[in-house]
Amino acid sequence: MFNEYNPIDKKVFQVIDDKGKVVNKAMMPSISDEKLIKAYKDMLFARTADLQIVSYQRQGRIYTYPPNYGQEAISGAVGALIGENDWLVPAFREMGAMLAKGVTLKELFLYFMGYEDGSKFQKAKKTLPISVPIASQLLHAAGIGYEIKYNKKSEVVFAFVGDGGTSEGDFHEAVNFAGVWKVPVVFIIQNNQYGISTPTRMQTASESLAIKAVAYGVKGIKVDGNDYFAMYKAVEESIKACQNGEGPVLIEAVTYRKGAHTTSDDPTKYRTKEEEQQWELKDPLKRLKLYLESKKLWSDKEEEKILPQYKEEVDRQFIEAENYGPYPKEDVFKYLYAEMPDDLKEQEKEYERFLQWKASKVK
Amino acid sequence: MRYIFKFPDIGEGLEEGTIVEWHVEKGQSVKMGDSLVTMETDKVVTAIPSPRDGVIAAKFGKVGETIHVGSALVEIDMEGVEGEAAVAEVNKPEPVEEEGAGVVGTLEVAGNNAVLSASKEGVSQSSAQGEKSARVLATPVARSLAKESGIDINNVKGTGPAGRVTKDDIIRFTSDSARTSQKSASYVAPSQTGENLTEIEPLSQMRKTIARNMIQSKHNAAHMTVFEEVEISELDRIRKKYKEILSQDGIKFTYLAFIVKAVALSLKKFRALNAEIDMERGNMIYKKYYNIGIAIDTPKGLVVPVIRNADKISVKEIASQIQIISDKARDGKLTLDEMKDGTFTITSYGSIGGLFAVPVINYPQAAILGVGRINKKPVVLNDQVVPGLILPLSLSVDHRIADGGETARFVNSVMEYLADPVSIIMD
Repeated sequence: MFNEYNPIDKKVFQVIDDKGKVVNKAMMPSISDEKLIKAYKDMLFARTADLQIVSYQRQGRIYTYPPNYGQEAISGAVGALIGENDWLVPAFREMGAMLAKGVTLKELFLYFMGYEDGSKFQKAKKTLPISVPIASQLLHAAGIGYEIKYNKKSEVVFAFVGDGGTSEGDFHEAVNFAGVWKVPVVFIIQNNQYGISTPTRMQTASESLAIKAVAYGVKGIKVDGNDYFAMYKAVEESIKACQNGEGPVLIEAVTYRKGAHTTSDDPTKYRTKEEEQQWELKDPLKRLKLYLESKKLWSDKEEEKILPQYKEEVDRQFIEAENYGPYPKEDVFKYLYAEMPDDLKEQEKEYERFLQWKASKVK
Repeated sequence: MRYIFKFPDIGEGLEEGTIVEWHVEKGQSVKMGDSLVTMETDKVVTAIPSPRDGVIAAKFGKVGETIHVGSALVEIDMEGVEGEAAVAEVNKPEPVEEEGAGVVGTLEVAGNNAVLSASKEGVSQSSAQGEKSARVLATPVARSLAKESGIDINNVKGTGPAGRVTKDDIIRFTSDSARTSQKSASYVAPSQTGENLTEIEPLSQMRKTIARNMIQSKHNAAHMTVFEEVEISELDRIRKKYKEILSQDGIKFTYLAFIVKAVALSLKKFRALNAEIDMERGNMIYKKYYNIGIAIDTPKGLVVPVIRNADKISVKEIASQIQIISDKARDGKLTLDEMKDGTFTITSYGSIGGLFAVPVINYPQAAILGVGRINKKPVVLNDQVVPGLILPLSLSVDHRIADGGETARFVNSVMEYLADPVSIIMD
């Protein structure tokens, strides 16, 4: 498959078209009906949560949030295939994959409310916290991959980055290192067309992002990231390659961020309505739904029934997070070092004085 | 149970937003998540959803009005929420207002007017003084050096771009304060006799201001001073004549009133002396108003009230105003308004003593005129030595703004008006 879709040939791997019709039968992954319905429901839940979170932010109830809206198939496919012992190394737009790993919405809410506990996943194993410094997480992924290989384990690492992140030095270091040591890491670039407001064409002079794999001497593929089946197949093949010692793999998942970069961003300032409408036709949920409907596996009736339940569940977990209790002051200082160094201790004291001063100001 | 929904900071450090459109009416039922109002902010234009279920009891603000972050947006009557639930509702944490964590990162947090310097974050004393409300611009190396040296960076004068504090500024400040502390250490040393030879008094706010202004002027302006003498027998004759008349109106007629007028009229001719330089933007600002500050000695220190539009008002009016502001100055009753917007300053020390001086410019003005003691001196008139009345003038200019030629021409003009006071009414 990686030979057939060598990025040098400028092909984009696709299985279903915008109407949900299979156009690449040979590459159709085999997924049970049950699993397929679950996949759609998971994506629908993630989307429901995503839209509600933006609303909470607008109500002043959480801090800045980066929406996933429109990119659900990528996380959905990884979420369906990632094993309990596999590693998830997220950037900050992979809600579906995190939920699949066992991270709860409540934990994500806590994170976006500023709690350190929001990164202390109770159930999700081998899941790194959300990484805001762009592309820095890829180095961790390469390191984890090296450990897996060194200890001859069969685990796979899924590391995410955006199109903008590919311009970071860390991206180069991580993929280069992974290639040299043939470590089992699947690097997934969510190319959602914009690094905040910078369009991908301003991000690189390369033909694609996937083609960078050629220079690193690793497997690479450009995938229609809004095509659930294509993503599923690409991830499935990547896992095989990694487990056969043929990793790493670089996947460019072409998608579109229907929402804003974050809640502090206004995309109408840098993209057009026409462009948004064009991408609307390629919406990943819509495409999978059309396929499911054609197989009589899903209907609007079922969706209408399930949506209010999802909304309620999102609200329930949100209220739980909102009532989590006061933020422990020392949390800001305590997690970077095993033992707090003097300058952090001094900062903690300063912060205490600041809080006292603030309390005296506010009254 | 009423819930006041305050406009949250929805964009990492927003201060305000403008109401674009209301989506609800008073009395309307809303559910959590229902859109209340569309707000335009510096970052985004967005609908603000309701955080609670209930009925809109009040809307604060009309379309087009600006709402500050943290100000009430709507009041929601939450039906059925009573008793314990109501208490819990009240105790719920306030909506997020500051300390915005963000994906793009927030370096500074603005809230409750508490803008803190990095080096002294959280130390209340320095922030409480009010004057230091703006965050000092500084290079990272300067900040860390200041911290290492135990210096409050707020006290360091920056010489870098836009007043940025640089490493050199910190080094200079450190050596300056080392010198000062050495000196004061020697002053407080007890004398042999055990008698205390020094008295330490805290600086008054006024003394601090004077000191700061003087340093600022000497530091920034390129001082150049020109000295001149002008024979004012004619002026003296006129003054004596009108002194009587004006005294009937209770006005003390001084030479200073004439000097103010002569200066104002000369400034109109030589605009550089009434200008201000803006190095940052690369502009010269020529002012077309002529407000003459008068430096007045008071028991507490120097104050500079301003005679506004001195070019337009009569000498008599100027004399009257000088009298009023002098009285107020001595009684400490000057308002801030009476001391601002000066474009040029006159310091008249002659009545106390001193012929010539090198006055310090009242920064950022372009020049200051020092008026010395009037003396009877022999002067040569038509090759005859005759007694004359000599007024010594010392003019300091900011040489960045005014060149020597312009300065000399200005002084000549002032002198001509004073030597021949009738010319004042001719212009």
